[in-house]
Amino acid sequence: MQRIPIKLAKPGMILAKEAITPEGQVLCGAGTELSQEVIARLIKQEVLTVTVEGHPVQLPGEKGLTEKLKELDHRFVKVKNDPVLRALKTLIAEFWVVQEKGEDFLQKLKKTKTR
Amino acid sequence: MNKEEIRQRLKDVQSLPTLPPIVSKLNQMVSDEDVTAVKLGRIIEKDQVLTSKLLKMVNSSFFGFPQRISTVSNAIVLLGFNVIKTLIVTSSIFEVMQSSDIGLFEHSLGCATAAGIVAKKLGIKNPEEVSTAGLIHDLGKIVLRAELPEEYEQVVETAREQDRYMREVEKEALGIGHGEIGGILARQWNLPERLVYPIEYHHNPEASPDYKEISAIIHFSDILIRALGFGFGGDKWVPPLDHNAWNRIKFGKKDMTHILEEVDEKLAELQDFTLDIHKDEGTES
Ligand SMILES: [Fe+2]
Ligand SMILES: [Fe+2]
Repeated sequence: MQRIPIKLAKPGMILAKEAITPEGQVLCGAGTELSQEVIARLIKQEVLTVTVEGHPVQLPGEKGLTEKLKELDHRFVKVKNDPVLRALKTLIAEFWVVQEKGEDFLQKLKKTKTR
Repeated sequence: MNKEEIRQRLKDVQSLPTLPPIVSKLNQMVSDEDVTAVKLGRIIEKDQVLTSKLLKMVNSSFFGFPQRISTVSNAIVLLGFNVIKTLIVTSSIFEVMQSSDIGLFEHSLGCATAAGIVAKKLGIKNPEEVSTAGLIHDLGKIVLRAELPEEYEQVVETAREQDRYMREVEKEALGIGHGEIGGILARQWNLPERLVYPIEYHHNPEASPDYKEISAIIHFSDILIRALGFGFGGDKWVPPLDHNAWNRIKFGKKDMTHILEEVDEKLAELQDFTLDIHKDEGTES
């Protein structure tokens, strides 16, 4: 799933999470397919962002998964001997992999690694 | 410049916006036991600019309140007076930071978000207070930057060139760390100790004379938010973890994953909040 500014929403995209106004009011539920009318209504109700299924938009400045993981590794360089922080780093990496590629992908990845 | 000179300098900080006059009035009122949230709210609401800033902060996603808070007295009831007072005292500082150091601003909002989520997970009574401590934990950096811009620039530059923690360089060059500086200021502003100690000891939480658990939460939230690469806290390195502090709060894999999920979601919402700020700036100018 991907969170995108409402301006980049296009008909045909499917909401992965409910669309909520800044006031906290739910406008449409997860699974709703966006149409021109729905998008117009969301804009009118001042919704700023929506979360949609898949990864349909390449946002400016958005990093790819590989780059994100490389930078994660780099940030941990000074604490790489701390077992707790090492575990935290692994958890974050796995979390990002699942978020972008899904749980199955992570399981496959783990299998190929242990082999 | 040594530690004493810096302390002196902080006594009359001139480069930061002065405290709103309303603060001393509120302080007086709070020491009066009969004062109610409604009364306090009424006083604050006389200042419309302050009120709108305050409501924007309390409704931003790092507090994570499901319903909209629409009046100041409601905010006081729901979040506690400590939180409201701190937000009032620091509101002008955050304005400075938003324009001068967006990276540190995001780091602070991120830490506030993480701290609130961790505090809730631990069942702490007033998680919003812990969030607020997270919000201002790097207060010392903001002061340094505003009051001693050249020295601050030098510290950041040296840390970058030598691939070191900013905190190390700062202690070496100034003889005092940003934690201690933040503590001095927070105390000067009469913030409660529950907030002063976590600010002062967020890099060495076990040295805190009190509120060690809150200090440990801020310590860890700072690490977590840097680990996630959200915002910029002065250098790019994940700081060392104090294991005694960790033992006070530690989470297993399952809880930690939940925390990550929640933090991730709130951080995305935070971007709405900062978008919102920029939008307002756009319409005002
Ligand atoms: Fe810090
Ligand atoms: Fe920090």
